[in-house]
Amino acid sequence: MKTTPVIAAAATLVLASALVSCSAGGDEADGGGGDGSDATNCTNTITKDDLPVVTMWAWYPNMELVVDNFNEASDDVQVCWTNAGAGGDAYDKFQTAISAGSGAPDVMMVEADRIPTFQVQDALVDLSDLGYEDVKANFSDGAWKDVSVGDAVYGAPVDGGPMGMIYRTDIFDQYGVTPPTTWAELETTAQALKDAGGPVFASFAANQPATTTAYFYGNGAEPFTYDPSSEGEIGINLNSPEIKEVLDYWDGLVDKELVGTEDQFTPEYIAGVIGGDYATYLSAAWAPGYLQGAGVGEGADAGVWAAAPMPQWDTADSVAINWGGSAFVVSSQAQDPELAAKAAFGVYADPASLDDGWQNQIIFPLNVGVLDSPEFQDYEVPFFSGQQANKEVYVPAANAYTGMTYTPLGQYYYSALTNQIAAIIDGSATGSEAADALQADVVAYAEEQGFTVK
Amino acid sequence: MSVTPIERTRAGRSSRRGIERRSMPRKPGRVPLNIVLGLLMLYFLIPFWWLIVNSSKSSAGLFGGGSSLWFAGDINYVQNFIDLFTYGGGIYARWLANSALYALVGGIGATVLAVLAGYGLAKYSFAGRRFSFAILLGAVMVPTTALVIPTFVLFAQVGWTNTIWAVIFPTLLNPFGVYLMNVYARDAVPDELLDAARVDGAGEFRSFFQVALPLLRPAIVTVLLLSVVASWNNYFLPLVMLSDNRLFPVTVGIGLWQSTASTYGAAGSQSLWSIIVLGSLVSVIPLIIAFLTLQRYWRGGLAIGSLK
Amino acid sequence: MTATLASAVPTKRRRSVTARQNLTGWLFVGPFGIVFLALLVLPIGFALYLSMFQKSMIGGTKFVLFGNYLKAFSDPSFLDGVWFVIRFSLVLIPLQMAVSLAIALILDIVITRYARFSRLMIFLPYAIPTVIGALMWGFLYSDNFGPLAEIFEAFGQSAPDFLSSSLIFYGLLNIVTWQWAGYYMIIIYAALQGIDPTLYEAARIDGASQWQIVLRIKIPLLTPALLLILVFALIGTLQFFNEPQILQQLAAGAIPNDFTPNMYAYQQAFSLANYNYGATISFALAAVVFVCVYIFLFATRKRGSFTS
Repeated sequence: MKTTPVIAAAATLVLASALVSCSAGGDEADGGGGDGSDATNCTNTITKDDLPVVTMWAWYPNMELVVDNFNEASDDVQVCWTNAGAGGDAYDKFQTAISAGSGAPDVMMVEADRIPTFQVQDALVDLSDLGYEDVKANFSDGAWKDVSVGDAVYGAPVDGGPMGMIYRTDIFDQYGVTPPTTWAELETTAQALKDAGGPVFASFAANQPATTTAYFYGNGAEPFTYDPSSEGEIGINLNSPEIKEVLDYWDGLVDKELVGTEDQFTPEYIAGVIGGDYATYLSAAWAPGYLQGAGVGEGADAGVWAAAPMPQWDTADSVAINWGGSAFVVSSQAQDPELAAKAAFGVYADPASLDDGWQNQIIFPLNVGVLDSPEFQDYEVPFFSGQQANKEVYVPAANAYTGMTYTPLGQYYYSALTNQIAAIIDGSATGSEAADALQADVVAYAEEQGFTVK
Repeated sequence: MSVTPIERTRAGRSSRRGIERRSMPRKPGRVPLNIVLGLLMLYFLIPFWWLIVNSSKSSAGLFGGGSSLWFAGDINYVQNFIDLFTYGGGIYARWLANSALYALVGGIGATVLAVLAGYGLAKYSFAGRRFSFAILLGAVMVPTTALVIPTFVLFAQVGWTNTIWAVIFPTLLNPFGVYLMNVYARDAVPDELLDAARVDGAGEFRSFFQVALPLLRPAIVTVLLLSVVASWNNYFLPLVMLSDNRLFPVTVGIGLWQSTASTYGAAGSQSLWSIIVLGSLVSVIPLIIAFLTLQRYWRGGLAIGSLK
Repeated sequence: MTATLASAVPTKRRRSVTARQNLTGWLFVGPFGIVFLALLVLPIGFALYLSMFQKSMIGGTKFVLFGNYLKAFSDPSFLDGVWFVIRFSLVLIPLQMAVSLAIALILDIVITRYARFSRLMIFLPYAIPTVIGALMWGFLYSDNFGPLAEIFEAFGQSAPDFLSSSLIFYGLLNIVTWQWAGYYMIIIYAALQGIDPTLYEAARIDGASQWQIVLRIKIPLLTPALLLILVFALIGTLQFFNEPQILQQLAAGAIPNDFTPNMYAYQQAFSLANYNYGATISFALAAVVFVCVYIFLFATRKRGSFTS
């Protein structure tokens, strides 16, 4: 008597699974071993059916064109691309696939500062022997350092974010100031602007840990040293005098109300930028693209933008800094890492794609062929009313950039830094206190994760 | 079964209401109540008004200052609509279709399961019933964030990740719906009626379909509506399960546009905010239609009085 | 009733009736049960298993049984988050219930087209996906896109910033109430429709006023449904995730990653690639939820229950 319910339940289960697998079978089902070489899952169309396929997740706005260009030119491999999300959403999916052991694409677009987080989980393939030598000369040392962890290379660089200062010529003219060249000058200029009733000079936001880290490097700091071959050692130096100097400086600007403190990358912030609430935007080379995409420079604020180099702590010893930039990595779930590496190094590397990238999508390519070309250098950037911003600001910054050290602690560090910046902004910590708290926080986390902190 | 209780009740109820209306004097308290309703409506509708007004603006209008609750200089609905449905090769329409699929299949499926289970729990004292309650409640207490990765692993084994099933199957679970049906079925379907049916010789399933189901209608419609809405609004699970953006429901799609608009280097040279706002507005309309159509089915009542 | 019927039936038939009862009971619950086991119990089991391992970047994964839980219950990020959701629930739930109950009662009395229209309008926010709702309120709370700045400036004041750390509690309170009041209202309303109107008739003949009808008839009869809603509202609010997670993009300073325990679990699992500890946090949260629900059910046990 008691067995009949069980049999009934089992029968229902079998029936249900049969029904389901019948309809789920076929082109939409994925195998257990990764998103697979299933050509029907692509957003782009693959014409060369006989070639092997690698899957790719990327969110560059012109990816379809880029992938088509690559597919047409390649006789070894075809790329099946989809846009799985922009930034964080895509990383969450990638992380899920890594944790679950399947479902990851062969090639993934990842920002440089995330690479060690995935690498420490053995989720990435070392590309040093898979074509790196052939393309080595195409990128600067700084670009390669950003995508490397220790001596191993994990990413094929595509775009970067050398930093500069975008400013509003109308506000500067109105108040009779010129772009500051040092941080000290910036403070006095900002004060002059404020005293004359002008807007705040720049922005110091809690949701910008990457930018703030760039500022640390700009003062010669070395927050992290990390080499995975050195058996779990990591160097954490977040309360060095250089970093304290930077944080105290920004703390001062916040206290004197010389900078805005709301989150960047929000519509509210964009509205502020358009409306002239900020005299400058300390940002990276992709900023004009981002701003233009958000509608800046098209309305009443058309034609009032110009670019200048980043302020320095010491003009005799200038440091180039970088914010952002992505690369293509090869996931360890790829069935054919060699082919995937070919795709990773090959996509977005041909002239047509690169030209479209910097001309139409306004990304900043790291390929030295483009950077050195007169076309790129002499380009009269429309957003800056024809100023040759590449030649004057961004290319020199890119060339002088020596790279940053990213660690697997990166995400935790960003989160901790966000909390400290918020504390500085609401006044509950001074710059130096924040640096000390940050150091303690991150060191505790590192030790908990098994690192030996030097 | 001779007289179906439902018809008697419906007539009884409406005629009783009619009597009520004719014999009772107009309550003077109606005006303040109406005012309260009016104020509440205002509160609940302001964001919608914001959506309606701001989806008429172009990017320049959105960011160019001006009142947020009134129209800008130019009304751009047509252009925004065109942009909305042509961006990305018309992916938005596809997202809407996906949402409809997930919501209908998932919502109806969840309702069927919830009705059956709730009725079973209410009317049959079988072994393990109380235990089932406890398990049901206990399982709901575990946040779904914990379950995303194991569910992903599970689905990966069967090959369902990145397919429509990855979204539909989890939405079949509506423990709250089960409880709701259980509570309602206990009162709305009297044991006497079921016994009467049994004595008349009807089998269990027949009595369910012919006696109980019509009596459960208001609750069924409620659970259906809530399941459909919950399916439609599903966000985090599809976000993690789906990597092919052609399978996204409209919630994840708009989320994608929003993170694209907020991430450097992702949007290229095109502003997405006007289609994000309009897309948000359009995505709500199907649910409004669903609600309006389902409203009619709520006027059923209880059959308790009919047996006496 | 069933007892008298059953005693009149010979024993042999009664035994098979019970057997049939059991079988049909299981068959009704079966479909839901299968999905429940596959999609909830199984992943929970797996997650529980994984939560007993500790993963560190250097040193790999090791089995620690309940070591993770000891860590979680002494982790200030987790404990602060728990304190926050408890505080939030204590304010939010009575507020929501009061609002929803009041609206449903009003709508039960005022039966005009205007009232029916307002019912739809009040329900509408629930039909909006959390992503879009949070997006809209993010705009509404902002200086440039929201009406607050305009309204307050008219009085010469500056608008409060609901996205700042001091006011985010109220900012979230508003969004959640706005979004969910209609949902609870619909359920209460449907339950109200199920009350036999002869009861009102009888009460009115006895001379009861509207207020007395509400207090003595409606609310007591609504109690099972109300308790049901309250339990699920409590569970849901303690698991607070959607709105703060999405608003974090607009208010990174006010909403850190460990703002609520569920967000903390998410951060651990996805951002920090530490799924094991993330699962632990989820189960630790489930334990907290269990305790709270148990306390609540214990405190209300005399008022009737929705379990049998």
